[in-house]
Amino acid sequence: MSKYILGALFLTFIAWYLSYSATRLDRLHNRVETSWANLDGLLQRRAAIAIEIARSEISDPASSLLLTFAAHQAREASVRDRSQAETGLTGALGILLETSTDISGANEQDLIRELKDLTEKIKMAVAMHVDAVNRTQMVRKKWFIRFFRLAGHAPEPVTYEFEGDVL
Amino acid sequence: MPLSKKRIGIVCPYGWDTPGGVQSHVRDLAEYLIRQGHYVSVLAPAIDEENLPDYVTSAGRPISIPYNGAVARVLFGPIAFARVRQWINNGSFDVLHLHEPAIPSISLLACWAAEGPMVGTFHAAAKRQKVTFAVAPILEPVIEKLTARIAVSEAARETLTEHLETDAIVVPNGIYADRYRDGSIDKRWTGNTIGFIGRFEEKRKGLDILAAALPAVISRYPDVKVFIAGPGDSEAALKEIDPSLHSRFTFLGRISEEEKANFLASVALYIAPNTGGESFGIILAEALAGGASVVASDIPAFDSLLGHGKYGTLFESENSADLSEKIIDLLGDESKRRTIAQRGKLYAQEFDWDVVAEKIYDVYEMAMVGGSTVSLSSENRAWNKFLGR
Repeated sequence: MSKYILGALFLTFIAWYLSYSATRLDRLHNRVETSWANLDGLLQRRAAIAIEIARSEISDPASSLLLTFAAHQAREASVRDRSQAETGLTGALGILLETSTDISGANEQDLIRELKDLTEKIKMAVAMHVDAVNRTQMVRKKWFIRFFRLAGHAPEPVTYEFEGDVL
Repeated sequence: MPLSKKRIGIVCPYGWDTPGGVQSHVRDLAEYLIRQGHYVSVLAPAIDEENLPDYVTSAGRPISIPYNGAVARVLFGPIAFARVRQWINNGSFDVLHLHEPAIPSISLLACWAAEGPMVGTFHAAAKRQKVTFAVAPILEPVIEKLTARIAVSEAARETLTEHLETDAIVVPNGIYADRYRDGSIDKRWTGNTIGFIGRFEEKRKGLDILAAALPAVISRYPDVKVFIAGPGDSEAALKEIDPSLHSRFTFLGRISEEEKANFLASVALYIAPNTGGESFGIILAEALAGGASVVASDIPAFDSLLGHGKYGTLFESENSADLSEKIIDLLGDESKRRTIAQRGKLYAQEFDWDVVAEKIYDVYEMAMVGGSTVSLSSENRAWNKFLGR
C-alpha cells in the first residue's frame, strides 16, 4: 500500500515541478521580450537622433550620407541582423563625433548631449537584455525542459552581440 | 526627472535601527526619491517599531545570525513572509527595489513572493566559496525573476557573475558630495597629519597596519600625528599599539558631518588601510569629495574606486613597509598631494546622489517598460487559495 502512496507523492512532485519550471521559463521569456522592447525603443530613438544629426550643421554631406544610410539600415533590420546594423550606426556616429571638434550652436550641443545620455541608457539596456537571453537559453537547455517541451512555441531568444566598448 | 510619479517599494534586508552601509544607502535613496515627488515605501526589519520614519514599514524584529563571517541582523520565517506578502499586496507598487536579495532575509522573500518589475541591488563582494555550489541552485530561480540587477562596484559585480552566473549594471553608492565640498581648514588638524575615519576596533579596518608603518615615518617626520574619528573604545585600541607610539594618536570619537568636512579638508593625508571585506568604500568617496589626499590599500574595491591609483595613492594591502614609503613620499611633496586630491574631488561628484539616484531611476524606468505592475506571483496566489486565504 505504502508503495502506491509513495508513487502518488512522486507523481504529484513531478507535476508540481513541471508546472513550476514552466512558470519559470514563461517568466524568463517575458523578461526577454520586455527587455528587448526597452532596448528596441532606445535604439529607435537613437536612429532618430542620428538622422537629425545628419541634417544638422555638425555633419558634412559625406558624413550625412553615411549616417542617414546607417540609421535607415538599423531601423529596417530584422531581429537577427539588428545588432550588426546597430554596430554600424555606432561606428558612423563615432567617426563623426571624433572628427568634428568644435560643435557650436545650442541646438547641436543639445543633440550631442541627448545622444550621450541615450548611449548610457542603451549600455544598461543591452546588459539587461543580454542577461535575460543568456539565462533563458541556459534554462531551455535543461534536458527535462526539452524532453517535456516546456518552452512550447516560444521562439528561441536571439543573442544580441552588441559591442559594448564601441559605444 | 519625469512628470509621472511612481509608487516605489524598497526592501532593506538588515535591521533598520542598526547602523550599516546598506541601511544608510536605502535611507538616502528613499528620501531622495520622496523629494522628487514619488511615493516610496520601505520594508525593513526593526527592533523599535514605534520610532520609524513614516515611509518605513516594519517586517518584525530582526534575528542575529552569523552569516559570511559577520553577525547579520536579518529576518525570515513564516510570519515575516506573511508580512512581506501583505506589504506587496497592499502597496500596489509600480516597481520593487530589493537590496541584497541573495542573503537569507526579507529581500529574498519579497523576490520569491512578487512578480512584475523588480530591480535588485547587490552590495556584497565575497570570494568564491565551496558553499556557493550548494546555494546557487536554490537562489538562481529566485534571482532570475529580477528584471534588472545593479551592483554597487566592480567587485560586487564580479561576485555576482562568479556566484550566480548573471551580469549586472554597475551603479555606485551615493554620497551627499556638497556636504563635504566646502570644509574649512581647522588648525588642530593641519601639518604633518594623518586622518582615519571608521570603527577602528574592527580588525579589517587595518589600524594595526597603520601603527606598524608609523615608526619609519617618524624617523623622517618627527612631528607626524594621527587623528582617528569614529565610534569605539580607544583604551582597548591603544593596548594593541606599541606604547612608544601612544602620544602620536588622538581619538576624536564620533564627529558630526560638518566636523568631518573640516577634518577631510585639513589633514595632510587620509589613510584607509582596510584589509578586506569592503565592497565599495563609501568613506573613500566621502574623503575624496572632502578634498583629502587619500592613501588606501589595494583591495579590489578601493583599487576600482580610486581609478587604479589615479584619484588616490594605493599601497600593497597589509604591507606596512609599503605604506610608510608612500606616506613619506607624499608628506614630502605637497604639490603632488594637492594635484591628486584636486583630481579626486572633481571625480567624487560622480557619486553624488543627484547623479546616482538618477541612474537608479533610469534602471527603474527600464524595468517598468512592460507596463505591468507588481503583484503576488502566481505560485503564491495558488498557494493562498490552497490555504484558504
